[in-house]
Amino acid sequence: MSDGPRLWVRVALLFPFTATLAVFFTVPLCIMAALSLSRQSFGRFEWGFTFKNYARFLSDAFYWTVLWDTLWLGLVVTAAALLLGYPVAYHLARTRTRWKPLLLVFVLSPLLVGIVIRCYGWMILLADRGLINSTLVERGWLARPLPLMYNKLGVGVALVHVFLPFMILSLTGVIKRIDPALLEAGMTLGASPVRTFWEVTLPLSLPGILAGSLLVFSLAISSFVVPVLLGGFKVYVLPIIVYEQILSVFDWPFGAANALILLLISLAIIAGYVKATERALRGLA
Amino acid sequence: MERASRGLRVAVAAVYAFLLLPLLIVVAAAFNAGNYFTFPPQGFSLKWFANFFQRREFMQALWLSVHLGFWTAVISTVAGTMASLVLVRGRFRGRDLLNAYVTSPLLLPQILTGVALLQYLSLLGLAQSYWALLIGHVVVTTPYVVRTVSAVLYNFDLALEEAAQSLGASPVRAFFEVTLGLIKPGVVAGAVLAFAISFDNFTISLFLTSPRLTPLPIELFAYLKYSFDPTAAAASAVAIGVTLVLMLLIARFMGLEEFTGF
Repeated sequence: MSDGPRLWVRVALLFPFTATLAVFFTVPLCIMAALSLSRQSFGRFEWGFTFKNYARFLSDAFYWTVLWDTLWLGLVVTAAALLLGYPVAYHLARTRTRWKPLLLVFVLSPLLVGIVIRCYGWMILLADRGLINSTLVERGWLARPLPLMYNKLGVGVALVHVFLPFMILSLTGVIKRIDPALLEAGMTLGASPVRTFWEVTLPLSLPGILAGSLLVFSLAISSFVVPVLLGGFKVYVLPIIVYEQILSVFDWPFGAANALILLLISLAIIAGYVKATERALRGLA
Repeated sequence: MERASRGLRVAVAAVYAFLLLPLLIVVAAAFNAGNYFTFPPQGFSLKWFANFFQRREFMQALWLSVHLGFWTAVISTVAGTMASLVLVRGRFRGRDLLNAYVTSPLLLPQILTGVALLQYLSLLGLAQSYWALLIGHVVVTTPYVVRTVSAVLYNFDLALEEAAQSLGASPVRAFFEVTLGLIKPGVVAGAVLAFAISFDNFTISLFLTSPRLTPLPIELFAYLKYSFDPTAAAASAVAIGVTLVLMLLIARFMGLEEFTGF
């Protein structure tokens, strides 16, 4: 019995979902990769083996700008989410308040409310005739509304809001597992609370920082709704290009190539991050 | 120490306010009489809700989302629970690899899954159908069910199931009468989560939707691109209400701490 279920039982239990994944996840991705290597002319595509679509992306300055904007936005959003998320996670991990379930609801509720709704909330706040601007203008504190939306600022604020819960959850788990005895040891040895934080808590929460940042970055650079609704097609990021090529221009091979470039960037960053994490952890040991 | 912790508390409160503000604003705008939400509000009104419930396209979208969420939850809960039983209990080579494979849709940006599925299902002639939406949603929700059920299964005492079997129960009967009862919190939480993710999913639906099959988030998105009136806020408030009920269900069955994994 300790070996778990018998072979045929195992196969039968695993089959439904693994088969679904193979047919409707793995195969589609392979076909997308094949499509990215084929060509399209006059609205019809022919299978082939050409890197033309990738060359087209890499040789156009416009796409380089978009790529740069996407990565830069991802970086700023990740840094902001870390700065805002760390205190909350630290508090959530250490607090003994009986309101903790409510605090968890606060963290989780934005996560479970649809992304379109969260963007809409920011639109009501940040638009030219939105809550912030109309309040400031009516009081006579401002002559004309501040440009809070349809630019990178609005997109960035909403992206931080949308992905902050992921950062908080990644950090809380790690901070909670730090042995309080280590902190007490630091204090007994005469270190101030601030120094204990910098020299014990922060280094030990590095795995959570790295995991959370990685997650937020890869979610932020592949987000589509936020840049569209709060950028109003004035902020161009890679996912918008993918969407336009697939659903407006109907150039599927080029769209597939763009999607794969996005994937390769995510994978490269994940790989780099994993390496960095390993090194950081070895440095601690 | 006292001052440091007070500073921390203020910072934490500010971040919670940042997290909740847009959601509260949407709900407030839904009950506000004016076309634009200003401060102070222009009076209480239910007219945006009335408008929401009277518009056929919103009602069809709401019904489609509920329908789709329900069947997604059913399928992904059954398939995900079956898979986690093997992935947690089986001792065989390649288990870790299988585990990684089964949860891989969580790692891939959803926009890629959406594009790949659209292209593939179009080649098969299945795109723009209810089936396309259902397949897409099952692919992205089942990994969450696997995670949730596995978390409960790890803490499960196998001796109970073995005891049932040594008392003469068949493995199948032992599973349904003992195991399922004990892992029910995880299974129910997984099902509720699958429904919630499907109900709120935007990216997968965006690529698999068609003019006659638009789930609520897509309908809302299309509406917001052209108009700004608070009917969208009423629609959002309804969706937030649904989500809150779902979250209370998860809290009730599994506990939020275990659910979030710490």
